[in-house]
Amino acid sequence: MNPLRKKNQSRTDNVEENVIFFFWNNKKYFANKGDSIAAGLLANNQYVIGRSFKYHRPRGIMSAGVEEAGALVTIGNGAYTEANVRATTTELTQGLSVYSQNAWPSVKFDIGSILNVLGRFFAAGFYYKMFMGIPPFEWGRGTKIWMFFEYFIRKAAGLGQSSRLPDPDCYEHMHTHTDVLVIGTGPAGLQAAISATEEGKDVLIVEQDYAIGGSYLSQPDTVELETQIEVLKKLRVTILTRTTAFGLYDDKTVGLVQVMPAKEYKTSSKKPRQQFNICRAEKIILATGAIERSYAFINNDLPGIMSVSAARTYLNRYNLLLSKNIVISTNNDSAYETAIELENAGATITILDAREQIGNKLLRQIAGSRINLHLGSGVVKAEKGLNTSSIGKIKLVEFANNKWRYAGNLSCDCLLISAGWSPVIHLASHQGYPINWNEENACFLSSGDNKSIFLIGSARGIWTKAGCIQSAKEIFQYNSRKKHKPSTVIGGWETPLAPLYEICLHNIKGKAFVDPQHDVTSSDIRLAYQEGFISVEHMKRYTTLGMATDQGKMGNIIGLALMAEALNCSISEVGVTRFRPPYTSISLGALAGRNRQSHFKPIRRTPFNNFSIQNKGVMINAGLWQRPWYYPMESESLEAAYIREATVTRRSLGICDVSSLGKIIIQGPDSTEFINRVYTNPFSKLPVGKARYGIMLRDDGLVFDDGTTWRLSENCYLMTTTTDNASSVMARLEELLQVRWPDLSVQVTSVTEQWGGCALAGPNSRNLLTKIIDDPSEISNESLPFMGIKQVLMQNVPCYVARISFSGELAYEIYIPSDYAQSMMEFIWENGQKFECCLYGLEALGTMRIEKGHLTNSEIDGRVTIQDIGLSKMASSNKDYIGKVLKNREKLTDSDRPQLVGIFPKDKNKTFKAGALLNEAGYLNGHPLGWVTSVTYSPALGHWIALGFITGGLAYVKDKNIVLSDELRSNFLDVEIVSPQMYDPEGLRLHG
Amino acid sequence: MIQIECPFCGKRDQSEFSYGRESQITFPALNADENSWYDAVFLRKNTYGRQIETWQHTHGCRSWLLVERDTVTHKIFSVKLAHTDWQKQIKKTT
Repeated sequence: MNPLRKKNQSRTDNVEENVIFFFWNNKKYFANKGDSIAAGLLANNQYVIGRSFKYHRPRGIMSAGVEEAGALVTIGNGAYTEANVRATTTELTQGLSVYSQNAWPSVKFDIGSILNVLGRFFAAGFYYKMFMGIPPFEWGRGTKIWMFFEYFIRKAAGLGQSSRLPDPDCYEHMHTHTDVLVIGTGPAGLQAAISATEEGKDVLIVEQDYAIGGSYLSQPDTVELETQIEVLKKLRVTILTRTTAFGLYDDKTVGLVQVMPAKEYKTSSKKPRQQFNICRAEKIILATGAIERSYAFINNDLPGIMSVSAARTYLNRYNLLLSKNIVISTNNDSAYETAIELENAGATITILDAREQIGNKLLRQIAGSRINLHLGSGVVKAEKGLNTSSIGKIKLVEFANNKWRYAGNLSCDCLLISAGWSPVIHLASHQGYPINWNEENACFLSSGDNKSIFLIGSARGIWTKAGCIQSAKEIFQYNSRKKHKPSTVIGGWETPLAPLYEICLHNIKGKAFVDPQHDVTSSDIRLAYQEGFISVEHMKRYTTLGMATDQGKMGNIIGLALMAEALNCSISEVGVTRFRPPYTSISLGALAGRNRQSHFKPIRRTPFNNFSIQNKGVMINAGLWQRPWYYPMESESLEAAYIREATVTRRSLGICDVSSLGKIIIQGPDSTEFINRVYTNPFSKLPVGKARYGIMLRDDGLVFDDGTTWRLSENCYLMTTTTDNASSVMARLEELLQVRWPDLSVQVTSVTEQWGGCALAGPNSRNLLTKIIDDPSEISNESLPFMGIKQVLMQNVPCYVARISFSGELAYEIYIPSDYAQSMMEFIWENGQKFECCLYGLEALGTMRIEKGHLTNSEIDGRVTIQDIGLSKMASSNKDYIGKVLKNREKLTDSDRPQLVGIFPKDKNKTFKAGALLNEAGYLNGHPLGWVTSVTYSPALGHWIALGFITGGLAYVKDKNIVLSDELRSNFLDVEIVSPQMYDPEGLRLHG
Repeated sequence: MIQIECPFCGKRDQSEFSYGRESQITFPALNADENSWYDAVFLRKNTYGRQIETWQHTHGCRSWLLVERDTVTHKIFSVKLAHTDWQKQIKKTT
């Protein structure tokens, strides 16, 4: 092959300012503005682009569009590297770096190509067979031999390598609403857009190419295209180029991705590299065109073999004549137009038509030219030329007596193939619209739903330009009559095509490729059949046909046809695998948009956040919340800090931010009844000004959440929930009130963010409180007893004080309106300095609650009953509540269920971690007796302690030797099972 | 992606809503027998086709809704508020 750039053409002039440079494997080349990478490479005589996936065979340019299975390249450098880019659809920009893939040391000489010789060992199902071992003794059966080969396979197989650096680009999301979305800007698409706009509709057109025009661009002149674009401009229709409609989703939603050309996003980092556009349209018109197919013959993957339409595109759009000596092998009328244009451009053309007869019109068209026409003819094998990796010679066959027969050799350096067209029905298939095999045109067709999803043009199987334009006009004509039944005739060729999927002769051997990107050969398909993988879905997975980045756009139908032939049935009986989005590969960055790193989830900060940071608090993510973890002094470690914090708190006083607890106001005449129904313990006798700890069950009787609820007045409560469950408890209460019990007159409002919560814990907590609230008499032991709550004034600001304790010390929680939280906290902290006082974080909070056996979501993990956590006394028998009935199910009341216990190591110097298992000594294998949920060092007890669950609880394991086993860390130690209330079980400290 | 017409907020993306459950489930009285609670909590019709289900407009007005939806085609036939009295009130005001 020796492509030539034609001179003096109107579209890409060879004038200096239109010349750009680019780098191909670090060597500088020149191309014209508007060239695709493939065109630029062809113009510089570079036609071996990469090496194939499995056999490392040389791969060239096979098409000029999205179906490309050969010319995959890597573009860009460093963090901007983009792998597996189709050279045929990517625009060349000034200075772009382009690299070949999957070849070492170079594309021209690739060591991996030794695999080509060993090919028979790598046939379909290679990976699966490796698991079965190597016959005859099944050596290595299981995963062993696979592990052995995997290392080499991973090195050899595969395509481009992406950068391991973080993506420096930005991506944008966008939502679009339109009346009509037209996908594709070929003759049908542009006409549909014009007709729709003339009907007064708001229209959006998208085009995956960087130029508008679709198949118009491949025509010798662009007069028609320019006229249509002019009309659209006057009508002010929006056209998005570089925009792929990659998927059709429910409710007429189309996923669009617009990819900016390389130069745009590098010069200004603020411009998004890609834009993910969620488009909703009333009508979606698929003018997505059709893809020209190849057929299987030996070495049909050699560089220099491409589709007929590709040669036409390179000729007319890029001014590139691929060769002076071109052979065209076809089975339909569509190739003749191209043949004539190529001949006019100065090439010698030989047409091999698989049909034994063609129509008179066609014959007249080529009558005046020097085109050699061979009817009933095809190619059985292509051979490499001398001193080149590309094609140099073909073996011809002719059709006689109903079979192919060898008919001599022909030298050629460029072979063009057209074995029929496959309409792009992918988007219709995404939504599950029926796909039918059309025998006459040898293609799958779909017609959408003809109400809101339409297919027009060659996507509908219409091959003539006039027919395509007519089909676009029809949609709107029919719609105005409220009835749509397309009348345009499918097809449109003078002589129907002769189905052609493979040409093979038993005495000519070699690899004939069905899926050139995944190196699936026709013998792989037959092997799949032989081995029983005859369903399309099985065949696809066994051979990996159509599973490469091109998703089998060129090869799938050949595979189906070969399977149909093996099964001796029709292609429609074999069926087709459903197309799934995306139509072409899209980058994950586009889908993520700006939702990355810290923008992936919202960050919730408590009103004390600044205070915590000012006081050197180290923050930790607790769900969405940022909570203070510990407050290190100087270079204190986490462990030293939390031990000090817990010690100071138990000895004197500690202050902690507890704002992230869920806070829900419950109001209304039926609020007492409502709370009674959601909590297991009774609330009807709770006096105003008192709080009560409550347990909430799910409908199925398992524990949902816990928290305290305060009665603020006769019909108003403040419910607190755990941090983790705040939103699910809220949604649950709303569901109960709106769906299940609409008769209850109750309102619930989340006030989590309206109040900052701060815990004062330790023996000096009351002493501090008397210094900070305006009337200290309000909080004496008598006026604010344990579990009492009160509204007080602090610096004249109304706050709530509740005497509740999570730490087990005399403790209070103060709820301060969020806007005052920062200054109030500074005020409290200032006064705290009069005592031995510290700020404590989540870690010390955890330590103290574990010492006391208080629960968090580590224990209430959705699998435990109220008995399991030792709170069965809180399950009232005098009232009805959610979960009451099902909590008594047989297995939920068994006494040998795992129950909450405390755990001490027998050797008090030993440490261990949460997640470890508990076993009886001597029974380390099999199902464990229990597990560890929370672990801490206890400063109060002077050794490591834990909470966990063990079968039968404390009573069952009393006389047994229990071993804690952490297999992953090889930590085994004897432990003592104790009551979960490990510190101050009588609660003497609590009552101060 | 489907869109749901919230009676308060208008047509919104599905991503603003959370699915609740099949709405034909009738929860028995809190003191009903174990079998009827078992049925309500564990047995699902798993309808192929049209069914009414509950959704919450979580990232909106937080109303619980009754949505009549085809589980095969995802087509939505009707949306109304689950709370019966609110339903009447919204009719009065519109």
